[in-house]
Amino acid sequence: MTARVAIVGIGQTGFSGAADDRLYHEHDFEAARMALADAGLDRGDVDTVICSGWDAVDGRTISDMHTAMSAGGYLKDSSHVGEDGIMALAYAYMRIAAGLFDVALVSGHGHAECSFETVSNVVFDPLFVRPLGQSHLVSLALQANAYMQRYGVSEEAPAKVAVKNRKNGAANRSAHLQSPVSLADVLASAPVCYPFRALHCPPQSVGGVALILAAEDTARRITERPVWITGIGWAIDSYDLGSKDLTRLGSLAAAADRAYRMAGIARPLDELDAAELHDITPFHELMAYEALGLAAEGGGAKLLEDGMTDAGGKLPVNPSGGVLCTNLYGASGLVRAAEGALQLRGEAGAHQVPDARRALAHGMSAPSGAAARTDCVLVLEGG
Amino acid sequence: MPRRVAIVAAGLSRTSSHRVDVTYPELVREAVSAALEQAGLQHHDIDAVAYGSMDPFDGVFAPERWNVEACAGAGAANLPLMKITTGGTTGGSTALAGYYHVASGLFDVVLAVASQRVGETLEAQLVLNTAIDPIYERWLGAGAITIAALQGARHFWRYGTTEEDLALISVKDYENARRNPYAHLMRMLTVQDALQTRMISWPLRLSDCCPSSDGAAALIFASEERARAITDRPAWVIGAGQITDNYWVGDRTWYEDWDSLSMLARRVYRQAKISDPLRELDVAELYNAFSIQEIIEYEALGFCDKGKGAELIRKGVTTMEGELPVCPSGGVLCTNPIGASGMIRVAEAALQTMGKAGDRQVPNVRKALAHAWGAAIGFHTLMVLSSEAP
Repeated sequence: MTARVAIVGIGQTGFSGAADDRLYHEHDFEAARMALADAGLDRGDVDTVICSGWDAVDGRTISDMHTAMSAGGYLKDSSHVGEDGIMALAYAYMRIAAGLFDVALVSGHGHAECSFETVSNVVFDPLFVRPLGQSHLVSLALQANAYMQRYGVSEEAPAKVAVKNRKNGAANRSAHLQSPVSLADVLASAPVCYPFRALHCPPQSVGGVALILAAEDTARRITERPVWITGIGWAIDSYDLGSKDLTRLGSLAAAADRAYRMAGIARPLDELDAAELHDITPFHELMAYEALGLAAEGGGAKLLEDGMTDAGGKLPVNPSGGVLCTNLYGASGLVRAAEGALQLRGEAGAHQVPDARRALAHGMSAPSGAAARTDCVLVLEGG
Repeated sequence: MPRRVAIVAAGLSRTSSHRVDVTYPELVREAVSAALEQAGLQHHDIDAVAYGSMDPFDGVFAPERWNVEACAGAGAANLPLMKITTGGTTGGSTALAGYYHVASGLFDVVLAVASQRVGETLEAQLVLNTAIDPIYERWLGAGAITIAALQGARHFWRYGTTEEDLALISVKDYENARRNPYAHLMRMLTVQDALQTRMISWPLRLSDCCPSSDGAAALIFASEERARAITDRPAWVIGAGQITDNYWVGDRTWYEDWDSLSMLARRVYRQAKISDPLRELDVAELYNAFSIQEIIEYEALGFCDKGKGAELIRKGVTTMEGELPVCPSGGVLCTNPIGASGMIRVAEAALQTMGKAGDRQVPNVRKALAHAWGAAIGFHTLMVLSSEAP
């Protein structure tokens, strides 16, 4: 058994659709300052800084040269993951669990100043797949379509996920989109890429998120409400879309399996109080229910239609509104961890799940996961 | 007391300016297979992968995805894989990540892989230039060569280092590379030849500058129990760290001294209980992308006093026969697949410690140092390996 590691500081900037006059790393700066203030720490208290993101998305080679500074990494032992920020959290977790660092700051940003469709096309092999116009959204659509066909999923079920999450987001003061939508709105919204319509697609949001992690003794000194990371797992899928089962999220199932085993969870639907999932599309939230063992294969729609994942249901999923309301490409997964931690502190405001003691946070690497998905699952528990 | 972790195998691919004979996954596979074979392991023995490459030099977005099967084996999906990118330090940072994977207790056997196909890049310096601030500094043309030239100009001015000193470094590294089958440049070089090569950016001539290479490296990190089962002579990690300096090229005052590297060396030597590196280390693999940097690294790493780096090469202290051989592989000066170069340093240090460095083996290595710099000389990584468990 490894050391206990807790989230002790949370910083989320306001999320919007435009960067105004900011540079990508300024979101990391603001979020890092907020996380330090939340933890009551100074930059000098931080031992290691892990940043996240992609050079191709930030538009600069070695973009972490600047994010590391902005997140407070000057003369510290810092590193950078080319993944969603939730993987920076995973790396920081390992550094602390190893007993080599006490306090870590992780940060991520979304800065919607590039075409994720163009960038994600370049993840595919140049000879066979790239010329087909394959991209982040197209590969998600292929999965969604295969899933619908295999299990006879109606058009209403994913639309209801969008309605649920947009309704939840309307209660979240930090969400980017805070307006609810109706079932009719979703079903009548413009087609984007079959089976996706406009209201199935997440927005491109701008902002930053930072979390501070600490080893057990230090965590207890810093806060009376540490949020313990009791389970963690991540996995990457295989590369070639044509040679895998598109109807199931294998990497998510593998990540969840590791996290559940570590946290001692056998019946996730009964043992979790809230879940923040990377609902990159509503179809993928349904698929995630199954990969996470909340529903049997093909049973995602039923779980939703039974109201189990509604705000007042047995296991509220995405009480924050999820990625369909706030989508920081590069940090949406880390936002899920932040939201999960806020729930366990009882500080989620109008979207608080009553008496949440154990929460799940899930992040995936979008858009780099267009070809081989990376999923990371955290089990979080309140102090 | 952190968990004891060792490197149990190191695999390298062949390198050249463009490995057109292999696809990218095949290049990675070459290094991974070599490491697995050395350890006597199969793909299914690997618990997790740490992967490093600098996408902009490959011209591929997230190339780790293209290379998943090369790491995990065909059909073996859903392994934990974490992508690390930190510029030229990427390979060193990825080795550090592999180490922390095992040290954390989450994993017992971890594959760390770093790769780069600089041959896919039309001009690496133009790519690197986009790392520099677009408004104030980029238009000055800053890149690795020009920044190293600034280091050289300052070192010449302050400490009286000469072009002949740089030539001595290049001659030593070129000579070493000729015994390394994984080196890119394997040609004879004399001091006279070196001084007649083309001036690139004063005071750096062509023979003072690294090539750009295609190549990959793989390391296998293991927990104590697994390490002892896999090999009789693992390379134990006894010190490791990274440091991050100021972003702005113009705000750095230490071009000739590299104070951030000195600071990191003090931290890592403390972990490794090293007080006199020149005596206590048996070999060092330094990130000498430019000959002048090897001299500055001698000083920053405490092999000699500030300004005395050139004396070490003049006296032959760092040659294969000297007290502390530096870069028996020929170093980055002879082989530079950018994101993989830092891991090649760790791989070479591990091979030396395990006694598996072939014709470039330094006798009786007990402690080896591996270094990398990156991010327009803003980042450094260090790792100290030992034949004895900490």
